[in-house]
Amino acid sequence: MKTMIRYPLAIAVLTAGFGCNVLAGPPPGQVDFGKFAPPGDGGQFVEVQINSNLLSLAARMVEKQQPDAAKLLRSVQLVHVNVVGLTDKNRAELEKRVQQIRHDLDAQGWDHNVAVQDKDGQDVGIYTKTRGGEALAGLAITVIQPKEQVVLINIVGDIRPEQVAALGDKLDIKPLKDVGAALKDAAPKEPAPKESAPEN
Amino acid sequence: MNPSSLPPVTHRSNRRLWLWALLLTPMLLLVVLAAWVASCFHLGSDARALRNGLMKASGIEWRQRITLNANYLTFGAVRAGLSCVRLDPGARAALQSVRSAGVGIYQVTSGTPRSDRAAMLAAADSAMTGRGWERVVGVMNGKDLVAIYVPGKNASVHNLKCCVMVFNGKEIVLVSARGNLEPLVTYALNQPGLCDQAKWLAQR
Repeated sequence: MKTMIRYPLAIAVLTAGFGCNVLAGPPPGQVDFGKFAPPGDGGQFVEVQINSNLLSLAARMVEKQQPDAAKLLRSVQLVHVNVVGLTDKNRAELEKRVQQIRHDLDAQGWDHNVAVQDKDGQDVGIYTKTRGGEALAGLAITVIQPKEQVVLINIVGDIRPEQVAALGDKLDIKPLKDVGAALKDAAPKEPAPKESAPEN
Repeated sequence: MNPSSLPPVTHRSNRRLWLWALLLTPMLLLVVLAAWVASCFHLGSDARALRNGLMKASGIEWRQRITLNANYLTFGAVRAGLSCVRLDPGARAALQSVRSAGVGIYQVTSGTPRSDRAAMLAAADSAMTGRGWERVVGVMNGKDLVAIYVPGKNASVHNLKCCVMVFNGKEIVLVSARGNLEPLVTYALNQPGLCDQAKWLAQR
C-alpha cells in the first residue's frame, strides 16, 4: 500500500519540479537578442556566450590570488556579445531589430540609463535591470555604428556595483573604476531610513 | 591412485604457461605500441566529428596536411623525461597543465570554389552540440572563421577540455586539448606585472 502511494507521489513531485523549472524561464536580467545570420561578403560576425559554468570555473581559478575578482565572476551568470557587420543588404533589417530590442527592454521595465547619439550617427543605449535596489540583475548595451556594425551586449547576474568598483580600485584599472561608478549611479537609491521620532 | 605422479604434471603445465607468457608479452607490447603510434596520427573523436561536419558543410575537397595527437601516455613520458631538466617556469607550468592535445591541418585543394563559412559554422555547431559541447566564441571576418568549443557541463579546472577551429579560406586548423589549468593559472597570476598588463589591456 505504501509503495502504491509512494510511486505516484514521487512522479507527481518530479513532474511538478520539472514544470517549475520550465516555468521558471530565463533569469530576469537575460535578454533574448535572437539569432543573427552572419553577413555575406566577408562581413564581420562575432558571437561570444560565456555561461555560469565557465564563469564559476574562472572564479575557482583566480580564487586564491584574486578573491575580489573571483567574487565578481561568481556574481555573473552569463556574458553574451553579438557583433554583426553592416552591409547594404542587412543594414535596414538590423537597425530595425535593434530598435525593436530597445522598445522591448523599455516595455519590460528596464531602466534606460544612457542614450547617446553623436554626429557620426553612432547610437548607444545602455539599459539596466535592478534587483532589490542593491544589485543589477542585468545590463544590456546596444550600439549601432551606421557605417560599421551593430553591437549587442548582455551581462546577467547579481552584480553589485561596489564589487566592480572595489576590483577596479584594487587593480587600479580606471575603466573598471568608471564602470563601477556608473553602475552605482545607475542603481536606484534606497530610500533613506526614517529618523525615529524622539520618545517623549 | 599414486600421489607421486601429480607434481611432474604441475611442473609441465607451469612451464607451458611461462612459455605462453614469454611468447605473448612481446606480442602484446607490440600491439600496444602499434596502437599508441597509430593514435599519434589520429584526432580524438570530438575533433574528428567537428572536422567531418566542417568538411561536409563546406562542399569542397580537402587534403590532409598533418594530424598529430599526443595522449596522456606521451605527455606523461615527456613530463617524466623533462622532470630533471632545468626549464623556464612558464614552460614547466604549460607542460604540467596539458594532459593531451591534438592538431589537425587540412588544406583546400586548388581550384575549388569559395566555401560558405556560415554553413560551416552551423555544421560545426550541430556536430559539437550533439556531443555535449557548446560554442563560447564564434568569429567571422573576411575569409577567416574561428570557433571555440568547451564542454557544456562538468567543466572543471583540473580536467578542462577545449576544441578550437580556425579556417582562413585555405586551411582548417583544428586543435583539441585537455588539461589541468591550475599550474598555468597559478604561474600567470603570480607574475609581478599582471596588474600592469590588465591595466594595459583595459586601456585598449
